[in-house]
Amino acid sequence: MSTELLMASLSTLLQGLLVTLLLSVCAIAGGTLIGLLAAVLRSFGPWGTSTIAKLYTELFRGTPILITLMFIYFGVSYFGYSINEFAAGVIGMSIYQGAYIAEIFRSGIEAVPKGQWEVSQILGLTRTQAFFSVVLPQTRKIVLPPLIGQYLSLIKDTSIVSMIGLSELMRGGQGIVDRIGKPIEIYGLVAVLYFIVCFPLSQWVRHHDRRSLL
Amino acid sequence: MTADNSTKPVITLSGVSKAFGATKVLQEINLDVKLGEVLVLIGASGSGKSTVLRIMAGLETADAGEVWVNEVPLHDARRAREIRGHVGMVFQQFNLFPHKTALGNVTLALIKARKMAPDEAKRRAIAALERVGLAERAEHYPSQLSGGQQQRVAIARSLAVEPRIMFFDEATSALDPELVGEVTEVMRGLARDGMTMVVVTHEMGFARKTADRVVFMDKGVIAEQGEPEAFFTSPQQERTRQFLHRVLDH
Repeated sequence: MSTELLMASLSTLLQGLLVTLLLSVCAIAGGTLIGLLAAVLRSFGPWGTSTIAKLYTELFRGTPILITLMFIYFGVSYFGYSINEFAAGVIGMSIYQGAYIAEIFRSGIEAVPKGQWEVSQILGLTRTQAFFSVVLPQTRKIVLPPLIGQYLSLIKDTSIVSMIGLSELMRGGQGIVDRIGKPIEIYGLVAVLYFIVCFPLSQWVRHHDRRSLL
Repeated sequence: MTADNSTKPVITLSGVSKAFGATKVLQEINLDVKLGEVLVLIGASGSGKSTVLRIMAGLETADAGEVWVNEVPLHDARRAREIRGHVGMVFQQFNLFPHKTALGNVTLALIKARKMAPDEAKRRAIAALERVGLAERAEHYPSQLSGGQQQRVAIARSLAVEPRIMFFDEATSALDPELVGEVTEVMRGLARDGMTMVVVTHEMGFARKTADRVVFMDKGVIAEQGEPEAFFTSPQQERTRQFLHRVLDH
């Protein structure tokens, strides 16, 4: 590959990487919020909401993310509105990942002893105060390693959003291959870029998983 | 305070019953606790003594009967929450907040529930920790403290909200024998200061020396009660004698 071509490809890929990172950050924020809400509703919500939260987690854990994305992207236009690929990607990834993140938070919340709630009640804290000041901080050690692990797979899963036409890292690579060929070199480069982002996170998880075992 | 106030009970249980599923844990309990009284509840495990305490503290609701604590009708679901922050409870498992220092444990409710300024909360927390002899451990986390110290921090945390009544649910049962004394010593100090206390315990020494009244529970009913001296030296009921024989004779 000529240097010129390589430089041009690299610049396309870096632009794609930027979109991938932006999409990841937005979906991590969205997925975490949705997941936390679903976990709270499932554990403490009044009966209707707890069932809805359960249905939500089971539904999205049991269907492929591509279906979710297609439903959002084409579903919106079906009802006569339009949505851009990035927004559809963020919403779809957030909803889908939220289902997994909800289960991570739920296992953390349920691991906190009941006595922590009781003493909070006696001391005069409301349930909301008890949740945010007493219970949630204690879930950190249990929740953080699997949560970061989930973020990792989220970042990699953003490549699926290329299927609805978003020019992120994966689609950037595909575009270059369509124009100049050289799939091995280009997809290799794409893989390296994903790896550079994900490796530090996976090292962090490995380190903290080992520590929590000790 | 008027004479009427000092004799009026701060806790009244009348006709209180409670079942968990098919198991009747309390049957028609009637019990008054006066202001400043130290009431000790004893009995075998499963006798219902902890359930009585948890009902008084608002952690369980009675199936039947009336429960008045500090003028709050706990049997009235709409008003039961008014008791929160006005009584203290010390648990067998301490229930300290593991992510907070001793100081943080004590200030949390003051800042969050009482909306106290952090400086003022800290001052009050240090005073509470001094009262249990642990001011110099303020910056330690629960995991850095012994069991006895942890329980004393838990007591300080309760005291800091200035409760009208303190409940102790087997506060020394999880402690190594050599650490029991430092906790019961703090409890004795509270009793001397006039705190109204309801204490579930297996420490017969504490019951005998510190209680104003001992209540013996058996199979969900109050089997016998009285002043400690009379209760321990000449129990009236056969089942009380058997229980005392079992716990004192080892």
